[in-house]
Amino acid sequence: MKTRQLQVLVAALTTGSLLAALSACSGGTKAGSDDAGGGGSKTLTLASVDQGSVEDVVKAFEKANPGVKVRYTTSGADQYQQQIRTQLSSGTAPDVMSVWPGNGNPGATYVLAKPGYLRDLSDQPWAAKLPDVMKTVAQYEGKTYTGIFGQNGIGAVYNQQAMEKAGLTPPDTWTKLLDFCRDAKAKGTPAFALGNQDNWVTQLVQYALVATTVYGGDPDFDQKMQAGQATFAKSPWTTALDKYLTMEKTGCFQKNPLGTNYEASQQLAATGKTLGIIQGNWVIALLEGKNPKGTFTLRALPATDDPAETIIPAAAGAGYGVNAKAKNEELALKFVNFVMSPEGMNLFVEKQGGLPSLPDTGFAADPSLAELSKFVEAERTVPFMDQLWPNAKVQQTMLSGLQEIFSGQSTPKELLDDMDADYKAGS
Amino acid sequence: MTLAPHQHLADHERPPVAEEIRGVRRARTTPPWWFALPALLLFAFVVLVPSARGVHYAFTDWDGLDPSFSFVGLDNFSAMLDDPDATAAIWHTLLIAVAITVIQNGLGLLLALGVNTAIKSRNLLRVFLFAPAVITPIVTAYLWRNLLGPDGAINSLLGTIGLDGLRQDWLGSPQLALWSVIGVIVWQYAGYSMVIFLAGLQSVPKEIHEAAAIDGAGPVRRFWSVTRPLLAPAFTINLMLSIIGGLKLFDQVYALTGGGPGHATDTISTLIYKDAFTLGEFGYSIALAVVLTIIVAVASTGQYLVLSRNERAAS
Repeated sequence: MKTRQLQVLVAALTTGSLLAALSACSGGTKAGSDDAGGGGSKTLTLASVDQGSVEDVVKAFEKANPGVKVRYTTSGADQYQQQIRTQLSSGTAPDVMSVWPGNGNPGATYVLAKPGYLRDLSDQPWAAKLPDVMKTVAQYEGKTYTGIFGQNGIGAVYNQQAMEKAGLTPPDTWTKLLDFCRDAKAKGTPAFALGNQDNWVTQLVQYALVATTVYGGDPDFDQKMQAGQATFAKSPWTTALDKYLTMEKTGCFQKNPLGTNYEASQQLAATGKTLGIIQGNWVIALLEGKNPKGTFTLRALPATDDPAETIIPAAAGAGYGVNAKAKNEELALKFVNFVMSPEGMNLFVEKQGGLPSLPDTGFAADPSLAELSKFVEAERTVPFMDQLWPNAKVQQTMLSGLQEIFSGQSTPKELLDDMDADYKAGS
Repeated sequence: MTLAPHQHLADHERPPVAEEIRGVRRARTTPPWWFALPALLLFAFVVLVPSARGVHYAFTDWDGLDPSFSFVGLDNFSAMLDDPDATAAIWHTLLIAVAITVIQNGLGLLLALGVNTAIKSRNLLRVFLFAPAVITPIVTAYLWRNLLGPDGAINSLLGTIGLDGLRQDWLGSPQLALWSVIGVIVWQYAGYSMVIFLAGLQSVPKEIHEAAAIDGAGPVRRFWSVTRPLLAPAFTINLMLSIIGGLKLFDQVYALTGGGPGHATDTISTLIYKDAFTLGEFGYSIALAVVLTIIVAVASTGQYLVLSRNERAAS
């Protein structure tokens, strides 16, 4: 009897859970269609990668628009890119979503605008005001799709206390940089922390060097690449890569960069175990979090012996786009326009530690970013290289290739040839 | 096996004949087929149908986003052969699966034999050894990522006990990284294998051991001729679980090394993820997933057939 009762119970439970699962599914869909049905509804859906800053912006937006409710989710870039693809292709994407500038990653403007997933925002008041360097990456085929609110730069972030202790000052030429590395090493504190175990980190030093070595002499390098008149392998990309490895050989980085992750590299720089770190300006807030008493400043990383030639890679950060099939288009546009207003923009960049994308927002940049603002104003910047590459593969090849070079599994020539091959494979 | 007749006895208050017991028991263990229907339906809708619908993308160039895509036949599969990353990943996957199966079960068996003796605090030891298996894989991976760092606890420990020469860049060296990953998995799941072996060991009747001992069999002989055959079901389960786990390994690799340095620790699963979600090559990555499914199916079915034959031979 007992066994039979058990069987009945199991069957009942299974049936029950099946029904529960089914009803849960239909429940979810219903809630979604309710939202869609209410055309005049005051709910905006939003998916964002700006964890830690979008919360404040949403609050300010809701305050400025009484009765409006923003339902938002935040996630890391990897997870977000995966989720937004699925949502867009299945028609369940939110009204407003994070969109990356240019091309080269699955959530980038070109990639999402091409199949028609984004609404054209060219008619919005801020679109015409974007600086040219932003327009190239916010537009696809001449139409603006992405409201880019901030920009970030890559450079050497120095730990001021550690520098004072070592009695060293930031170098402004390539020769001085190598001397700086030798002196730092002799004092037992390597110059820069390098967290190459996380493969995205590998590119930062390379970008900082490429900005000056490649774009310093040839501002139109990207156009030449696009026209097939230039290659990585036969350009100063080789020089930059060579300099990267020279830095490694000179002892500019702590030991075992491939076993050190991003988190550990921050720890080294924050606590003065290295004098600094070559990173994006976003790292400053993280360093301050790990060492609240520390002072950190971002300086350009020199790659030649003429300081006037130095260029900083500074690029548009992720912005916001409007779903072409937004359920609440009016509110979606209102939100993006709020993000692009001085109030929204300053709120975002202040929290993220970057610089606003539009001039004249009255934004007072943090003193740690004084050099970056100076370079931006003097237009001595280039976008991050990958933002204008035709596909995501070029960058991925570079990232794993740099790890392979550092671990002796590949050579600079092999890497640049592979990147050329991926570039030519097109989109 | 002695439990059911006893219950039966109590129910009916008369001593049953053996035939009757067996007959009743057989009738009880074959419920009507439609009892399985809800579970089967659920399985079909959640697993079978979506999987089957997914497979056809392996023959397309779908990028995961664009609703228009074209059929490319077997191109994705032939591209795999020319892709050094894919061939390396397949090799890593097989190596990991074999290494984990051998080391984890070897260690698990030794631990089980150890805590199955009358040693002091054996219950505490059992709990202690099993504990890692209940931690989320991603947590253990992050933990070990720090322990195995250049200045992590492992290297510090080696330095403290004067073995500076053994300090390594555990996750940063392409020669070592794969073995570090294997080490972490073994650390986590050796206790899991141990518990299954332990259950098997405890079902070996003491009397047989005593009889064998009286017949003059030493401890090794007793293990080989008495314990080992009776452990056959535990071996089947353990080997099966570890080979399937090893073949589809993702979380630990992704959190420990991200497949790096370069592609030195990429498995088929991490490559599937990267190709799909970073590069947008969904067609290709689904083709890789199909290959993985075939490998898992072949390996586990083959293993099951061999082991269950041994099991029958042993019993």
